[in-house]
Amino acid sequence: MRTEDLISRLVAEPPRPPLRALAMALAMLVALALPLGWFLGSMGMRPDLEAALLAPVTAAKSLLPFVLSATSFALALHLARPEARVGRRLVPAALVALAALGLWLGFWMQTPTQALGAAIRGSTQVKCLTTITLMSLPPLAVGLLMLRRGASSAPALSGAVLGLACGGMAAAGYALHCTEDNPLFYVTWYGTAILAAGGIGALLGWRLLRW
Amino acid sequence: MRDSESEWSVLMRAAIGGDGRAYARLLTEITPVLRGIVRSRGRALSPDRHEDIVQDVLLAIHEKRHTWRPDSPLKPWLYAVTRHKVVDAFRRRGASVHLPIEDFTDFLESEPGPDPLARRDTDRLLAGIDDRSAAIVRAVAIDGEETGAVGARLSMTEGAVRVALHRAMKKLARLGAGNGGDGPGRGRDE
Repeated sequence: MRTEDLISRLVAEPPRPPLRALAMALAMLVALALPLGWFLGSMGMRPDLEAALLAPVTAAKSLLPFVLSATSFALALHLARPEARVGRRLVPAALVALAALGLWLGFWMQTPTQALGAAIRGSTQVKCLTTITLMSLPPLAVGLLMLRRGASSAPALSGAVLGLACGGMAAAGYALHCTEDNPLFYVTWYGTAILAAGGIGALLGWRLLRW
Repeated sequence: MRDSESEWSVLMRAAIGGDGRAYARLLTEITPVLRGIVRSRGRALSPDRHEDIVQDVLLAIHEKRHTWRPDSPLKPWLYAVTRHKVVDAFRRRGASVHLPIEDFTDFLESEPGPDPLARRDTDRLLAGIDDRSAAIVRAVAIDGEETGAVGARLSMTEGAVRVALHRAMKKLARLGAGNGGDGPGRGRDE
């Protein structure tokens, strides 16, 4: 086809509406609310939820992944523009990760060596890992489909960041049920589950966000 | 030098607002710039591929134009889209060079010979040469048959088929370059 013909054909097509952050956030939250609601409904919230949320270290179990989720979501939207650079925008998410790591190290130093293994292992790490990772998949799928309207120059990175956002939100919700309040446990296993969601997001993004 | 940044931004804003004329002007003004980029980067590719890549980029600009924010400059966006598609196109086309040799010969055979052999004009042009040569051109250059097989069918040696093909192609190129419509037109009016 001649390029002039292509142009006159393109001109006849109406433009599409831009990606709306709010619409995307709402759609992803709904996609998370279904599995999370089902999980909390059948397994129950922790009985001492109010008291737990008042204790800073326990509250951080929900708060850190929540903040990570919000900053990652903003970054994923930013990366949907082709000219976007990661650069300083990575700082908020990196600060959250540093805070979590600091918390983990602080408790690691306070805990006697012979108790470390048990504290890190906890007793629910399999449930924690699988639940958080699985719950992050529906919002990840919805988010990736909407992000296809974007134009990321780094599809795998975009998918990974979106995966972190979903894993973080799933972890923040799962924390309402989980009673293991030692950062040695939750930073390790929540972190692993969130990273797993990020890895899945990277793989899917690499496939789905190409254009 | 003209300030194409603000000019193009204005055109794109109008285009997104539904102004088809502004959009056409923008794409028409961008195209030579895209060609320049593709040409300067694409020495490894044959020039007839360049226009394909230019069109790929135009399509991407079209499909992703809603990802440009009207309050930000247009050129960085435009360049990012172009770079992404050009790199992608080169990677895809560059990779095909490493295909096994059998696939590569298939590719060579399916490539049309002289320019006049564009499908639409083929029959008209082939009517201008003798039937036997036309049959050979059809079989080898269009249907991609082996010269040996064609020779066996027409009871000719493979060498004779090649010579006949070569002469026929030259003649076709002449017909196509001149006004082939006024050619002898054998068989057209029968």
